[in-house]
Amino acid sequence: MIKEYIENWSGEVNTLVIGATPEEGGSRRFSVKIGGERTLPFLFKEALLPFKPVIAYEIWDIEPIDWATALSKYYGDVWGNTLEWADKLIREYKAELLCLKLAGAHPEIGKDLDEIVKLLEGLLKKVDIPLIIIGCGDVQRDNFILPLCSQILKNERCLIGEVNQDNYKTLTAAVLADGHSIIAQSPIDINIAKQLNILISDMGLPLERIVINPTVGALGYGLEYTYSIMERLRLAALNNDRVVASPFICFVGQESWRVKEATTPEKEFSRWGSEWRRGYLWELITAGALLQAGANILVMRHPKAIEKIKEYIDKLYEFKIN
Amino acid sequence: MEKFKVTFYPDHKTVEIQKGQSILSAALAAGIYINSNCGGEGICGRCKIILRKGEVFTQPSGRLSWEERKHNYYLACLTTVQSDLEVEVPEESRLSFEKLAVEEIALRFKGFYEKPESIETTQSILDEVFVHSPLATKLYIELPPPNLNDRVSDLERLYREIRKRHEIPIIQTCLTNIRSLGHLLRNSDWKVTVTLGKRDGVVEIVLVEPNNTSLHNYGFAFDIGTTTICGELIDLNNKKILGARAIYNKQTVFGPDVITRIIYGSQADGLEKLHHAVVDGMNEIIQELIQEEKIDLNNVTCVLCAGNPTMIHLLLKIEPTYLRREPYIPVANFIPTIRASETGIKINPRGLLFCLPGVSSYLGGDIVAGVLSCGMYKEEGICLLIDIGTNGEIVLGNRDFLVGCSASAGPAFEGSGVNYGMRASGGAIQKVKILPNADKVEFSTIGNIPARGICGSGYIDILAQMLMTGVIDRSGKIRWEDHPRIKQRELEKEFIIAFKEETNLDSDIVITETDIENLKRAKAAIFAATSVLVKHMNLDLKQIEKVFIAGGFGSYLNIQNAKLIGLLPDLEERRFIFVGNSSLIGASYVLLSHQAMQRAEELAHKITYFELSVDHSYMEEYMAALFFPHTDISRFPNLKGMI
Repeated sequence: MIKEYIENWSGEVNTLVIGATPEEGGSRRFSVKIGGERTLPFLFKEALLPFKPVIAYEIWDIEPIDWATALSKYYGDVWGNTLEWADKLIREYKAELLCLKLAGAHPEIGKDLDEIVKLLEGLLKKVDIPLIIIGCGDVQRDNFILPLCSQILKNERCLIGEVNQDNYKTLTAAVLADGHSIIAQSPIDINIAKQLNILISDMGLPLERIVINPTVGALGYGLEYTYSIMERLRLAALNNDRVVASPFICFVGQESWRVKEATTPEKEFSRWGSEWRRGYLWELITAGALLQAGANILVMRHPKAIEKIKEYIDKLYEFKIN
Repeated sequence: MEKFKVTFYPDHKTVEIQKGQSILSAALAAGIYINSNCGGEGICGRCKIILRKGEVFTQPSGRLSWEERKHNYYLACLTTVQSDLEVEVPEESRLSFEKLAVEEIALRFKGFYEKPESIETTQSILDEVFVHSPLATKLYIELPPPNLNDRVSDLERLYREIRKRHEIPIIQTCLTNIRSLGHLLRNSDWKVTVTLGKRDGVVEIVLVEPNNTSLHNYGFAFDIGTTTICGELIDLNNKKILGARAIYNKQTVFGPDVITRIIYGSQADGLEKLHHAVVDGMNEIIQELIQEEKIDLNNVTCVLCAGNPTMIHLLLKIEPTYLRREPYIPVANFIPTIRASETGIKINPRGLLFCLPGVSSYLGGDIVAGVLSCGMYKEEGICLLIDIGTNGEIVLGNRDFLVGCSASAGPAFEGSGVNYGMRASGGAIQKVKILPNADKVEFSTIGNIPARGICGSGYIDILAQMLMTGVIDRSGKIRWEDHPRIKQRELEKEFIIAFKEETNLDSDIVITETDIENLKRAKAAIFAATSVLVKHMNLDLKQIEKVFIAGGFGSYLNIQNAKLIGLLPDLEERRFIFVGNSSLIGASYVLLSHQAMQRAEELAHKITYFELSVDHSYMEEYMAALFFPHTDISRFPNLKGMI
C-alpha cells in the first residue's frame, strides 16, 4: 500500500475572536472564533483545523431596494427596520454573526449621522451576538463614520471595515484604540494583500487583528482567479509567512446576487429554470467553492443557501479527528 | 478651416495654425520645445504657458494653482487656439540645455569615477586599453608629382602613398572624390590631407583636402537616451575630450517612453517629427561645442551614436512600428556606416555616422557600450550591469556568457516626470539627509549653488531618509499630518525638501506623493527585471560578485540608500561599482579605437536577449517590488529593523 503523504507545514493561520462577552468587557452572549488552521481546508488527517468557517448574515441600515425578490420573500417584511431584521435573523434563522453594512451613509443617500449613531446604539441593546460593521464604500464618509462606530462599539471586539492600500490610517487608528479587528481589502492581488497587512501592522495594530478580504467574484465571474489568489496566500501563511497569516472574509451574497444568472426571472429565460431555486443555488455554490479556497467568514444573504452551507460544513467536520 | 497666427515670446516666433489646434502643437510648429512629459495628455502639468492676448478654449486641470490661473497660465496641451494669440513661454516650461562640468568630463574620459561616498574600494572599470585608431583618421601626404617614368594615375598614386604609411588592404573612394581629384592635387601642389574612414571592413577615402589639416580632426560621441541626449566633442588626434553637453531629448514632447514614441512615429508625419527632434538636439550640441572650442565644422569628420534601438531607428528615420509588434523585430541592429549628412546631422558634409550595434529590439548599442566600458565581459566572476534610465537595462554574465533584458522604468530617476526633477547638473540637489522628526533637511547641490531641483541621486536619498524617519509608510504615502514641511494639496500631500529661501526658484522644492509613486514604479521595474533575469539563469543574487551601476547620476550615488528603497539588491557595498554614463564612455572608446568597435560588434552578437514581456513571472515580481524596499522583506535581510 502506498503510504499517505502528509505535509508538515511550519506556519498557521492566526486565530481571531469576534465579539466580547461580559467577562471580557463586552456585552455579547458568546464570541466567535475563526482561523487557527495548520493545513489547507478540510485536510483533517494532516493537521489541526480547530474552528469551523462561520456564516455572517448581511443586513443593511436602509431598505435594500435592489435586492432580488427571492430575498425579499424572506426579509421584505422587516428590512425597513434594521433592528427587527436583525431580531428576525437571530430568532428565526438562528444567526450567530451579523454583518451590518452602513449603505445609508453613502453621500448619495445621505443618511443622517445621528440616525446611524442611534441605530448602532439600538442594535447594541437589542442584539447580543457578535457584529461585523462595513462602511458604505465612500472613502471620505467612511473615514468619518467608521471611527465613530468603532467608538460606540468600544470593547465589543467587532470586526470593522474596510480599509485598502490608499486609505487605511484613520480606521486602523480607531480600531486599535477601541479593541476591534479590521478588514483589509485588496484587489485580488497577493502582493497588495501582503503590503496592506504590513502597512496596518506598522501602525501598531497586531497582525492577529486583521482579516483579509481578498475580493471575490461569483461563480462564473472570475471565481477561479479569486480561488488561486486565496490559495496562494494560504500556502504562504502555512509556510510561515506571518504577514499573510490572516483569516479570510468573503462577501459571497453581495457578489452572487448581482449576477444575472442569479436573478433573471424564469419567464425571460425559460431554460434556466426557476429563479427562486437558481438564485440561492448560485450563492450556495459560490460559497462552497470559497470554503475550499480557505474562506473563514462567508457573508451571505439567502437563508436557504446559508442553511445548506452550514450543513455542508458540518458534514465536512464529521471527518475531524483531532 | 480658419487659420490663426500664434506668436511666441520671448522668441518672437510666429506660426500660422488651424483653429482648434493645441498651443502645444503650435509651439512645435514654431520650433519651440515645451516640456510635456505626458505627451500632451494634460497629466504632467509641465507645459504651462502664459496667454498675453487672444481667445482660447481650455479644459480644467488640477495642475494649475489658483494663483497661476489668475495670472493667465494655461496648459499648452489642453488649450486650443480660437483666435490670433500672443503666448509667453516661461523658462521652466522649456526643455533645458545644460553644460556638463569640466571635471565630470575629465572623469568620464579616464574611465574612473569619483567613488561614491559609501563605497570603500574603488576599482578600475577599464583595464583593457584599446589601441588608438580613431574611426576617422587624417593623413597629410606630399605626393611625388607624376613624370614620364612614374605614370601611375592620380588615384592609384594616392593609394600608393597611403599604403606606404599604413598597411591597408582595401581602399574605396566614391565618385565625387575621384571627380575632383585631378584639379585638387595639381592646385595644391600635390600636398593634401586625406581623411580615411573605417566603413565596416573597408577603408574609405572620405575626403581629400588641400594642404595640411591633419592636426585638426574631431569627432562626436553621443549617447542618445529616451530622456537625455549627451554629446562629447573629442579631439581624435590626442584623445582629449574638449567639451560635453547634455540636453533633454526633444522627442519627450511626443511621449515619455519608447512605446509612446513608436506609436507616435507610426502616425502620419510622426516619424518625420521625431527624427527632426533628435537631429535638432544633436545639431544644437554640435554647434554649441564647436563654437565654444572655435573649431571649423569641416574638421569634424565623424559622429558615433550609442542608443537604444528605438532611438537609433528614429534617428535614422527608419519605420519603428515593428519594434512594438510581436515578435518585436527591429529593422536593423547592425547599422552600416553612413554619411552623417544623410540624416541631417551637420558636420563635414562627407563625414561619417557610426551607430553602435544593438542586440535586439529593446537592448541597444547603449548597453553594448556599457558592457564594453565596464569590462564585465572579461570578468571571471558573475557580474551585473544595471543601467538606470527610462528603460532599465540589465545585463548579467561574465567572460563566458552574457544575457540582458530591458524594462520600462519611466524617466523619474533622470529627473523627468517628477515635479522638481532635473538632470544631474548645477543646482541639482544630489545628497540629502533628513534629521529625526524631519526637523531639518540637510542637502547639498551640484556645484554648491542654490538649489534648482532634485536629481536622481537626490531622490534616492530623499526616499530612503523619508522611510527611515517615518515620513512615508512603506507604500510611499506621507504618514504625517501636521508638520511644517508637509502640505496638503487638492489631491495629495507633499513634503518640502527646500524652502523657497534656500532655492533659486520662486517656490519651495517639494516631493509629492505622485512623485514618490513614479519613483517607486521605476525602482520596482528595475529590481523586478534584475530578479527575473538572475532567477532565469538559475542564479542567486548572492552569487553576483560585481554590480556595475550606470545612469546619469553625476558623481554621487549612495548605495546604502539605493538598497533601502529596494532599487538595488541587498549585497555588501564592496560589490557595487558606480560607473556613471557607461554608454557615453563606451561610445567615446569606440570612436577612438576601431579595435573597440570590433569588440562592440562581438559583444552585440554575444549578448543573449531575454524578453521580459513574455515572461509571466515579471509582472508578479514587479507587483511585489512596488513597496519599500520590497513586499518580501526576507530579500533584504540586512535592512531589517532599519525601516
